[in-house]
Amino acid sequence: MGTIRFREVVKTYPGKQPVVALDRVNLDIGEGEFVALLGPSGCGKSTLLNLIAGFEEMTSGALSFNGGTVDSPGPERAVVFQEAALLPWLTVEQNIAFGPSVQKRPRAEYEPKIRELLRLVGLERFAHSLPSQLSGGMRQRVGIARALVMDPKALLMDEPFGALDAQTRMSMQQLLLDVWQSLGTTVLFVTHDIDEAILLADRICIMSARPGRITREITVDLPRPRSVDQLTDPAFIRHKAAIMAEMREAQKEHA
Amino acid sequence: MNDAPARALDAAPVPAAPKVKSRGLFPAGRTGAAMRAALLPVLVIAAWQLAGSGGSLAGGVLPTPDRVWDAWVVWAFGPQGMGLNPYSGTWLSNVLFSSMRVAQGFVLAMAIGIPAGVLIGWSRAVSGTVDPTIQLLRPIPITAWLPFSIAVFGIQDMGAIFLIALGGFYPIVVNATHGARDVDRNWIRAAEMMGASRFDVLRRVVLPAALPAIFTGLRIGLGIAWTAVIVSEMVAVKSGLGYVLWDAYYVGRMDVVIADMLSIGAMGLLSDRLIVTVEHWALRWRRLQSASR
Repeated sequence: MGTIRFREVVKTYPGKQPVVALDRVNLDIGEGEFVALLGPSGCGKSTLLNLIAGFEEMTSGALSFNGGTVDSPGPERAVVFQEAALLPWLTVEQNIAFGPSVQKRPRAEYEPKIRELLRLVGLERFAHSLPSQLSGGMRQRVGIARALVMDPKALLMDEPFGALDAQTRMSMQQLLLDVWQSLGTTVLFVTHDIDEAILLADRICIMSARPGRITREITVDLPRPRSVDQLTDPAFIRHKAAIMAEMREAQKEHA
Repeated sequence: MNDAPARALDAAPVPAAPKVKSRGLFPAGRTGAAMRAALLPVLVIAAWQLAGSGGSLAGGVLPTPDRVWDAWVVWAFGPQGMGLNPYSGTWLSNVLFSSMRVAQGFVLAMAIGIPAGVLIGWSRAVSGTVDPTIQLLRPIPITAWLPFSIAVFGIQDMGAIFLIALGGFYPIVVNATHGARDVDRNWIRAAEMMGASRFDVLRRVVLPAALPAIFTGLRIGLGIAWTAVIVSEMVAVKSGLGYVLWDAYYVGRMDVVIADMLSIGAMGLLSDRLIVTVEHWALRWRRLQSASR
């Protein structure tokens, strides 16, 4: 189970001039669904993710995960951060083992799993390397493995490939597609890259800034399994054209 | 393969180390660097020696380097408890007296300062309760604590150890506080998301993240610890390098005074190197980090 539900969620940052980061956001994400939040920087899409992750508290509204309230971070809602946020003094293996080890799970249970995940993300040879010895793409693979080792019910990904070069990003997108297609975990994926959103998601929620709102929802009906080769398919291009038109529309309405 | 992952990864061409040409007086490399470093001290000592006549300069107040050396040799290796020279053969025991006090006081400063600083930086409640008091007491120089220390502990070791611990405590606690306060927010969030308790976060994220700052505090604190031991030995204890320093001054033995000063400097340098060695080992991950960037 991994359902996410936002009802009229408002997030205001207090101050001399209070900033309304999210304004009455409604969003339902079903079990095993891959939803992309697409929008310009500063539109509140990371705030939305932080709320469901339990990193921040909403100002008003209702927010639930699997029907229960969210009041703190937890391993059932694994987060993949933009810059991976690995602990730099731990090796790749120790970073992945951090979750199971603080949860006091038996080593014999999680060690084979870590080996399997290292193989899955192609980092077996780097198990004992430090994060600083890895490239950005490899660090993010560790970030994904660290999330998956906990068998999360939902993966919350905050522009995880935003800092990577185009080539690395594509290989990471393929990796995520492959992994997700075999696991079927619920995913909330924050991005400002239209191609990325179309390629990965079942549904795209377009957000606009100031105040942050979900202005459009678009279902992506490209067949699965998908691969990065589809980026140039006519069907893909049609989707992209439609989304760009919608975004322009949304912008006009908000201007 | 495993030992060169960064290279295997992006296959970036590693630029060949440029050949260092010797510039001017010194040959390239380590030997040249050592020679360059030694130049200034050698010049100063030579000038000092040449400026004096009959073993002293400045109207007989300052002994020349050769006299200082002679005084140190007697102080270090002369026969003990004989003749007119009360310092003869006592160098090692005085060095040990001072070093032991520094070690005891400094361990105390670390034992209180590191946990206190990390807790202050990590918890707003602890910070609000403890930090104001520390900031209130911190401006009182350790020298101003001397009468208090003598009154409470008398003329003995505890007084010196108290001053050393107090002097070392402040920079340690302040730096540990900063280190624990400046932890990358996403490291803490990542740990929490993986199910870490508040205590797990403290022990497994905040403490290691604060270590670089803690080591900075230790190095500054150790310098102050040496200041404190000399001050308290000059006034409140009857042994150690500080006691000899003041005593030798009173009987006009400036050669011993200077030999003593240099001994203090050498011990300070040695103990600092000791911390740097531990730091190097404890922060291996950081070294690799800077090497790869």
